[in-house]
Amino acid sequence: MTAISRSGAGKIKAGSFSLNRFSAGTQAFFHVLLALFSLLCIIPFLFVIIISFSSEESIRQIGYSFTPKSWSTAAFTYTFQLGDALWRSYFNSFLITVAGTLCSVSMTVLYAYPLYRRDYRHRNFFNFLSFFTMIFGGGLVPTYVICKNVLGLSDNYAALIVPMLFSPFNVIIMRTFLQTTVPPELIEAATIDGSGEYSTLLRIVLPVVKPGIATIALLVSLAYWNEWFLSLLYLNKNMSIMPLQYLLMRMQRNADFLAKNSSMLGAEAAKAAARLPSQSLKMALVVFIVIPIACAYPFFQRYVIAGLTVGSVKG
Amino acid sequence: MKKFLSLFLALALVLSLSSFAAADDLPTITIMFHGSNVTDDSAVLEKVNEYIADKVGAKLEVIWGTWGDFDEKAVNVLTSGDKDVDMVFTCSWSADEYNSYAKNGYFLKLDELIETCGAALKTAIPESLMQAATIEGAEGKGIYAVNGFKDTATQNTWDVNVTLLNELGYTLEDLQTKGFFGWDEIFAKAKEVKGDSFYPFLVEPMVAERMVTNSIIVAGDAGSTNLLSLYLNPEDVSAEGAYGNKLLNKFATEEYKAFVEQMHKYYEAGYIDPALSVAETSNDARTNHQKDASYLIGTQSYAYGYEFSQDVIARGVEVKFVPCTDPYVDTTASQGAMMAINSASEHPEESMKFLALLNSDPVLMTLLNYGVEGIHYTLNDDGLVVFNADARASYSPWTNGMGNVTILPDTVDEGAGFRKAFQEYYAGAKGIPSLGFVFDNKPVENEMAALGNVAAQYALALDCGAVDPETALPEFLSALDAAGMQKYLDEANAQLDAYLAK
Amino acid sequence: MTALQAGSAKTGARLRRSSLAAKKKTFWLTTMMLPGAVWLLLVRYLPMFGIVIAFKNYRAFRPNTFWNNIVKSEWVGLKNFEFLNSPDTGVMIRNTLGYNLLWIVLGLVISVAFAVMMSELTSRFMAKAYQTMMFFPYFLSWVVASYFVLAFLDPTSGMIPSMQKASGLPVSNFYHETTWWPLILTICNLWKNLGYSSVLYLAAITGIDTTQYEAAAVDGASKWQQIWHVTLPGIRPMIIILLIMNIGKIFNADFGLFYNVPQNSGSLYPVTQVVDTYVYRAYANTHNLGMSSAAGLLQSLVGLVCILGANALVRRIDPESSLF
Repeated sequence: MTAISRSGAGKIKAGSFSLNRFSAGTQAFFHVLLALFSLLCIIPFLFVIIISFSSEESIRQIGYSFTPKSWSTAAFTYTFQLGDALWRSYFNSFLITVAGTLCSVSMTVLYAYPLYRRDYRHRNFFNFLSFFTMIFGGGLVPTYVICKNVLGLSDNYAALIVPMLFSPFNVIIMRTFLQTTVPPELIEAATIDGSGEYSTLLRIVLPVVKPGIATIALLVSLAYWNEWFLSLLYLNKNMSIMPLQYLLMRMQRNADFLAKNSSMLGAEAAKAAARLPSQSLKMALVVFIVIPIACAYPFFQRYVIAGLTVGSVKG
Repeated sequence: MKKFLSLFLALALVLSLSSFAAADDLPTITIMFHGSNVTDDSAVLEKVNEYIADKVGAKLEVIWGTWGDFDEKAVNVLTSGDKDVDMVFTCSWSADEYNSYAKNGYFLKLDELIETCGAALKTAIPESLMQAATIEGAEGKGIYAVNGFKDTATQNTWDVNVTLLNELGYTLEDLQTKGFFGWDEIFAKAKEVKGDSFYPFLVEPMVAERMVTNSIIVAGDAGSTNLLSLYLNPEDVSAEGAYGNKLLNKFATEEYKAFVEQMHKYYEAGYIDPALSVAETSNDARTNHQKDASYLIGTQSYAYGYEFSQDVIARGVEVKFVPCTDPYVDTTASQGAMMAINSASEHPEESMKFLALLNSDPVLMTLLNYGVEGIHYTLNDDGLVVFNADARASYSPWTNGMGNVTILPDTVDEGAGFRKAFQEYYAGAKGIPSLGFVFDNKPVENEMAALGNVAAQYALALDCGAVDPETALPEFLSALDAAGMQKYLDEANAQLDAYLAK
Repeated sequence: MTALQAGSAKTGARLRRSSLAAKKKTFWLTTMMLPGAVWLLLVRYLPMFGIVIAFKNYRAFRPNTFWNNIVKSEWVGLKNFEFLNSPDTGVMIRNTLGYNLLWIVLGLVISVAFAVMMSELTSRFMAKAYQTMMFFPYFLSWVVASYFVLAFLDPTSGMIPSMQKASGLPVSNFYHETTWWPLILTICNLWKNLGYSSVLYLAAITGIDTTQYEAAAVDGASKWQQIWHVTLPGIRPMIIILLIMNIGKIFNADFGLFYNVPQNSGSLYPVTQVVDTYVYRAYANTHNLGMSSAAGLLQSLVGLVCILGANALVRRIDPESSLF
């Protein structure tokens, strides 16, 4: 199929050039719309950067502002002073994200592929098995009990990876990608050639659904990178494996808690609140969290866009 | 394909390998604290374990719960019957609320254990605090947690920026004679002198409400926004208040109406920062104004010695805390910080031995609170504690959440004799007439869920003066009625009457 | 195409004849399911016994183990569900369903439009750049986003009140006025989720078989017609699947959006109270495990009914795209 479409594209291109792209005016219109929205999306991030460089006095006096009264690098100096703790949590976040994404994407693809195969006998059963958990769950505490007591997930990296290893949502998305991009004939042709099921999946199917896999990988890695609640639940003593996001969320939650309970804690809350890290420090940590994943993004995107060049016929 | 599978399995195996602690003949007991800021406890725990090995016969491990994650962690550990946590912080205001968790069987009854392994507690902790911890729990009437000896009385104060007050030409006496309802003139002057963007009245709205109306927090009431009021006698806190020993709908009294009307006047005149009227922005705003000393009068629930604390000194102005009433002991304050033993624990005896030692032995208490001498602090020539700021940054637990703070040595900031004076200050505090009463909200839980949501919608904005009580208050009251306020109130009063009759 | 299809029919027949091959195929495909299925059983199905907590007055017994506590706790029927029936119920259901419906429609239309536009841009560099930027909000938590909103709306130093002050208009206190919040919340929701869903649609568009465009172009279809007749039908399965799944979550709300972005301001509850925030606030007071699991179970049941309904509808119209 791929071969056919490529050669076909070559033939058509010259003749129907104008039919296969929008006029310059329409293109310009698209650019304006997309650019405006993109700007809207990027400004808050610039805002975070500005706050992280704002002086503490400025935030105290005029609040969060695009034009702070004075600037300061204190938040970053302080963040770097965290030293080991910061880099260690960085490392943990990377480790968890990479390991989690690899395992999770493999499991998702392996689960979604037979579901996509209309000739697979048990597909309805497994489809339901996964779908049902998207709707129903045992709840927080029962899941915690099973994960800790049965699976031994406590104070280890596995505890931060295993509970979100698999997502029925992603399976359904992956199955839909397979349905829309892989024609069944491709698989039948491979079967006739005597290819085994695993080798069909690896050699024939995977290359075709690369954009889909990249998309799933992006979603999964983002979920891992942003995850902090698992750390709250499962990390009690071994804080050295704490990920970066949890470091940030703890600061956030400490402030929230003191706000809610200040009437009960009285002077204690006031003392504790005065010791909390500054707003600019929190924003500096947000910068630290966003930058790596923003840098990794084009890597995933290459596959999505790579599909574009094959998929459409614009010069 | 096999390679792929085995790779996957190997990876899963490696990831699931947990760190196994080296085998040791002593059992390990685990304690979970609240509000700590601890990232490196190795030096301290090494010393602690050396010290308690013979005395307790166990090794200690600590889970340093922070302000933000303690509630979820504790509820999770207790409700899941997790035997790996032996002791856990509890009190009248945390999510693992002492009275309800004791009643629901999560905490061990300690009376016998105290006799057999914790006799030292009986001399270390005052009888009145033991009494405050004695409640009707799952295993009958008894003590279900060791009550910490700390600031066990409540006292609300006006937090006055005296430097600014004098600059404006007023004195503390002026403030007191004019009273809350007559501060217009002073606020107007402040606004005039300091400019339009200056907000003289720095209230924590809920606290201000209690201060002005002389009402208290009723233990067991909805925690996020209180619904019930019990009115104090401001002249003598141990006598009955204007309404007797009766619980009232906080928002339906004349006192409340007068308060919110006055607050609305102040708010409309621009004396109150609007950020204080919104739940999530109010604490940040308050802390910021305090740090900058950009206020004239604030509210503060007070603990003895607060004026000597670093964050008050750092404001750079003279600060005075003017009390509304004498300190009073109510149920909430007397159950302010406790340590319970998890009923799933496999080491209740060792745990009790440890708690008894922690509350009676200054060496252990100091070690866990202030760290290791020579690393986290040094003693100066007067025998006062001088903290090493660097080491302390990675080890500063919440002192009041640990237990008997009266056996700690004095620090340089507090000055010699502080702990003794602290102890005396609270020993002299009088109890309110209904001390010990805890509202069991279980029978009206559904009403409380609905009422809590209604109160959260109106109370803060009203208390801060941000909305007009003329329209908002009647609306609020009828919403409360619709959500079952009367049933809630009747249940609470019936329980209080039954309690007082005993 | 027809030749290929005929070929595949023959192959199918040959395969059916060989039952050994069929068994082998089933076996190998089943091994692929195993890692996921084992995970589902352990991490999702095993804890499901916890659902009974919704019908019990859960508390601790001796010996205090989770299992023993569940077994010994008394049955209370539907008592844990009663708190959901309050004077606020109407408001929170209206808000939850209303916002969700509006956002499902808006989100679908705009993100498909964006995905199509990006796929049609001649400048691949710009398409990439837009896509990257549009994904940025997804990195920021609602807490951080709420600071951003605050910078605009803060009554003392926010940009909009400052502008009002400068131009002599009456200054709005946004956190006590409900008027603008449906709009603000809608903008925030679209801002955060459009990038994410348009990536999904864009990836689906890239998977469309190119020959279809070529055939359409040969037939003289304009670009607009190609989008209508090729692109949209091509991503229809993705649109339908995402739609079904969103409908399944119609009774659930994005907690952070409704809690953090309005700074938990009480005055705004009439337009910000949703099922999740109501349950959260109720739980903050009662700490009753049974109540929160009851609410969760009810949301699941409603979700199930909605999904099954939507799926049945889809199956009647377009069986290929249905969930099952």
